[in-house]
Amino acid sequence: MATPPKKTPDRHYDFGRMNVAFAWSSLLLLVVTVWMVVADYAKPWKRLQSEFRDLERQQLVSELEAERQQLNESDIVAVEAEIAEEEAGLAGQRDALEELEDRLVGLGKKVYAADAEARTTKSKLDTARYQLDAALQHGDEGEKTEARERVDQLAAQYREDRKALEAFQEERRAVQESIDQKRAGLVEAEGKLAELRKGLDGLRLRVANLDKRLDYFLLNAPLMDFVEPPLKIEQVILSGLYQDINFTAVDRVDRCMTCHVAAGRAGFDGEDWKQPFRSHPRLDLFVSAVSPHPYTEFGCTTCHGGLDRATDFARAGHSPRDEEQKREWIEKWGWEPQKYLDDPILPAEYSEARCVQCHGDGVWTPESVALDPGRELILRTGCYKCHEIGYTAFEDLPRPGPSLEKIAAKTRPEWAAEWIRAPREFRPTTWMPHFFFQKNTTSETNLERQRAEIAAVVAYLWNVSKRPEYPPPPAGDAARGEELFQTVGCTGCHLLDATAERDDYYPEIQRLHGPNLVRTGSKVSDGWLYAWLKDPRQFAADTRMPSLRLTDREAADLVAYLMAQRDPAYEGLEMPEVDARARDELVLDYLQNNLTIEQSEARLAEMSSLERDVYLGEETIQKYGCWGCHNLAGFENAKPIGVEITEEGSKPVHQFDFGHVHDVPHTRHDWIRTKLLDPRIWDHGKEEVKSYGELLKMPHFGFSEREADAIVTAVLGFTKESVAESRRADRGPEGPKLAAGRKLVSLYNCQGCHLIEDKGRAIRSAIEDVGMLPPNLAAQGARVQADWLFEYLHDPGAVQMRPWLGVRMPTFGFSDEEINTVVSYFAARDGRETFLSPPAPPDSRNRAVGEVTFNMLQCAKCHPAGPQASAAAGVGSAELAPSLLLATSRLRHDWVPDWIKDPQSWIRGTNMPANFMRNPDGTYLSPLAGAIDAPMFSTQKQTLMRHFESEEELRDYLADADRVTVALRDHIWWNLGD
Amino acid sequence: MRKKNFLAALAILAAIVVVACGGAEKAPTETAKAPAAAPASGTASIAGTIAYANGDPDTAISMNADPKCATLHKEPVLTEKIVTGETGGLANVFVYVKAGLPAGKYPVPETTHLLDQKGCQYRPHVSGIRTGQKLIIRNSDPTLHNVHALPKVNQEFNQGQPFENMELERTFDKAEVMVRFKCDVHPWMSSYMGVVDHPFFAVSDAAGSFKIDGLPAGEYTLEAWHEELGTTTQKVSVTEGQAASVAFSFAAGGVPSS
Repeated sequence: MATPPKKTPDRHYDFGRMNVAFAWSSLLLLVVTVWMVVADYAKPWKRLQSEFRDLERQQLVSELEAERQQLNESDIVAVEAEIAEEEAGLAGQRDALEELEDRLVGLGKKVYAADAEARTTKSKLDTARYQLDAALQHGDEGEKTEARERVDQLAAQYREDRKALEAFQEERRAVQESIDQKRAGLVEAEGKLAELRKGLDGLRLRVANLDKRLDYFLLNAPLMDFVEPPLKIEQVILSGLYQDINFTAVDRVDRCMTCHVAAGRAGFDGEDWKQPFRSHPRLDLFVSAVSPHPYTEFGCTTCHGGLDRATDFARAGHSPRDEEQKREWIEKWGWEPQKYLDDPILPAEYSEARCVQCHGDGVWTPESVALDPGRELILRTGCYKCHEIGYTAFEDLPRPGPSLEKIAAKTRPEWAAEWIRAPREFRPTTWMPHFFFQKNTTSETNLERQRAEIAAVVAYLWNVSKRPEYPPPPAGDAARGEELFQTVGCTGCHLLDATAERDDYYPEIQRLHGPNLVRTGSKVSDGWLYAWLKDPRQFAADTRMPSLRLTDREAADLVAYLMAQRDPAYEGLEMPEVDARARDELVLDYLQNNLTIEQSEARLAEMSSLERDVYLGEETIQKYGCWGCHNLAGFENAKPIGVEITEEGSKPVHQFDFGHVHDVPHTRHDWIRTKLLDPRIWDHGKEEVKSYGELLKMPHFGFSEREADAIVTAVLGFTKESVAESRRADRGPEGPKLAAGRKLVSLYNCQGCHLIEDKGRAIRSAIEDVGMLPPNLAAQGARVQADWLFEYLHDPGAVQMRPWLGVRMPTFGFSDEEINTVVSYFAARDGRETFLSPPAPPDSRNRAVGEVTFNMLQCAKCHPAGPQASAAAGVGSAELAPSLLLATSRLRHDWVPDWIKDPQSWIRGTNMPANFMRNPDGTYLSPLAGAIDAPMFSTQKQTLMRHFESEEELRDYLADADRVTVALRDHIWWNLGD
Repeated sequence: MRKKNFLAALAILAAIVVVACGGAEKAPTETAKAPAAAPASGTASIAGTIAYANGDPDTAISMNADPKCATLHKEPVLTEKIVTGETGGLANVFVYVKAGLPAGKYPVPETTHLLDQKGCQYRPHVSGIRTGQKLIIRNSDPTLHNVHALPKVNQEFNQGQPFENMELERTFDKAEVMVRFKCDVHPWMSSYMGVVDHPFFAVSDAAGSFKIDGLPAGEYTLEAWHEELGTTTQKVSVTEGQAASVAFSFAAGGVPSS
């Protein structure tokens, strides 16, 4: 039995037990405090920064070693001796400089004192003068003499004072001068030292800076790390780039570089470097301080998404690439999905999506991997016709598919039914999707229903179609037609290749702009084709197929060639057999939407079989939204049938319906991607529950994985506003001009033939000879006059500028508004005013020099420059370069000298040779100054000397590429033009 | 007591500042792996011949387009695309070691390589040059030429040479087989230049033979390139001091066989 604790009489508690309790609790408190400090201190990012420091040091050490291997020992000794000498010299110079500076300060004081002295004397002198003046007027002789003497004496003293002041000033000036000299010498010496140190010593210093010595640990120690710890959170505040935090848009505060330490630095990319220690790709474009998107201004999450403020792996919103990475992350970083984060980090392949938030409608990045192709794909497939997309790039566009208003005059109903059933079987590259026989409509009843729907759609189309007559075309020659097809420019937009897949042409989809013309002969009538080729707009007013101004014979040849493209499988087609009961049930279903059951049945009984087909056809077209892509009588004003996707990239994940599908990760991009690749998938397990009309209707486009990823990127870019106006790249008057121009360039597929903004010329895969390709339109806005371009686009056939080209610039029938858009687009892109003031008239010397140098440089060897120019047989000058007689009306006079000076800098690969050598400093060397003294140019020299005072002056002029190129321009402008 | 602690903290801070400011220039002592040594040359060589079966004869060029060019020739000028000797050897084939050389850089030769334009033709028609080696391009004709090089890897250039005896100096930085030169004024003119980063290459002569000297012992992949007939490769083993022999053959229609 334990004895009860002793109690001190005057206290109600036991000291001993109290001490034990206090001891334990204070120990516990200590442990918890230590734990707290350690937990707060030992953040994972600190470990990462420290690890990176070690890795970088290791790398530098090996670099240092490599550098050492390159130099031999005596070199190192020599460099080190030189460094030591420079340093000693510098120290001496610094001392001398200091001494001088001291003297300067002393002198300054002296000058100040002397100046004050002189001023005092001066004022005394002035007073004396006044007194003398007063004495002369009112005083007696004594006063006068005294005043005179005083003035004389003070005047002499003032002279002395000034002399002393000026002497000090002079001395100060001299000292200042020698200080300046010494300082310049010092700067030079310091530069030299820095240069010497750059190699070895620089590396050595950098290694030493990464050493972890006592100071490193002290500065990072808990409670000490408020000073300037080497391990610290790196953050930038990004004003005007918003993050939505609890429904409030606040400026982003990016901390990603706390762990991604090397993201902004080059050289951390080989196999040795793993995340988070890798350099960002394309530092010329991103992150680095000299790129257009420096980290300090744009941060990381602006483009990548994720929680800007987080310094914890999971909370930052990292998204695993696949299941394997997910497992790895869970193990290594304790990763978990962030349910409440609206914008987790986008997988790297979709990063380009965010470009849109600042670059807006005009976003056009030739180097983009997915964004531009994705937006192009949206344009071609016509997503925007069913799903409204509130960007001007996707608004007010003509329907992407061909007009069906006159379909009966073009093809046969049997072909149309077969085509609708499975478009890609007839033409694997087509953009027309599969609506029927998809995975959610496989039951026997549904198969019957779909056959009925197809037949009904065809019946409707033929019922409403206009039927212009097309007489049979004149006989043509298929062989000539084939040659024409290959050379005249058809291949800029059309393929003729039975084996081509759409994905073969990704991402340069310009050649898929028009249909692949394989099997044309089994589809259309020859009369229609002839009329279509001659003038596409007579058939469909808003078609984008241009006229190539074919002669009757050319059109007939092409028809002969294209009609020979046949496939027997599509010749003897018949209409699909339709189960009348299935059709009638569908008709009844539709009728019951507006009528009672009894009325509907009565109505059905009144209808003939054709009427039932036509009725069902109209309803089916309404159901699938065919009129979105095709002009169709009866549907001119119908509204889009799909969900608007203007802000799809910001739509919360929980609003996406994943149905009963469980193996698709619940992310925005996975949903969109899955939907694109398998549009009916979310009906999985619901086929029985939903009625036929309720089943998902989005058609199957047969996208390849790359195509789907590109579209996902573009769609993810459709986000809510998240940047301030001041951060938009497309602000200012240029933005809308670029956006509108690029829209037209896409719409008419200009890049099928031309290189525009470094993108396009898809036709090159069909035309081997580089010299025969349509022109590169780089610098077009700087190059041609707006008036000329306007006229040219109206009627490209009026003047033949490059007669050697087989490809013809087609006549598109642009409206004035469209042409103005193109003209101001080119001007805006090249930073030019649309209209240009006329050139100043030249002086006679410029014209004379221009003429002589024009002949010396033999410009007319390639450029027709007069009526007699292309007389030579074989390859004449007219087949090499544009006629210079067109220059004054076509070219911008301010551009011509710049072009002549360095053609390659304007248009890479141009056949126009450079005649002036570019110096490393950006000036140009003219070969003419040296050449003019050659005996062969003695007459030219004589001619020129009439305009110059001396030979030296002439040579100076000819050596100046700026003046010579202006003279050449003046010759072209004023001599050739006359 | 409290004051004492405060002083201690100050002392530590002072120590930190001293260490932080003063101790940054100590050199490291660690060593790291040494880089690869400069590659050695050897005494082995490869000699070989290029045969060409059932070929068509070379065709003539019309120089009528530029009368100045036409007057420079009395005899008809051939395209030089397919030049065969009497024994059936094929000239103008560029042969070089494509793979198998030890890693490292070979010093760039001091000598220059000349590409001449004479009689409105490039001379030589096929040649080889080293990366970094000086290339002199001369116009020996009294008419305008433009030297338009069309590399895919190196920097493209297109320089006019309007005067006789003008010279131009260029270098190629990266290895590239082959770089084509054309003249836009005279479309028939062309020359091909193999840019390699080692000295082991040759161009076959009129008899179709070539020789590569100074190789270290080893097994190499040799490639033969012809402008019309394509390329073909062979593996060759050489030992020091020995001359290995190789026979390439091209067939008409561009399907090479070895």
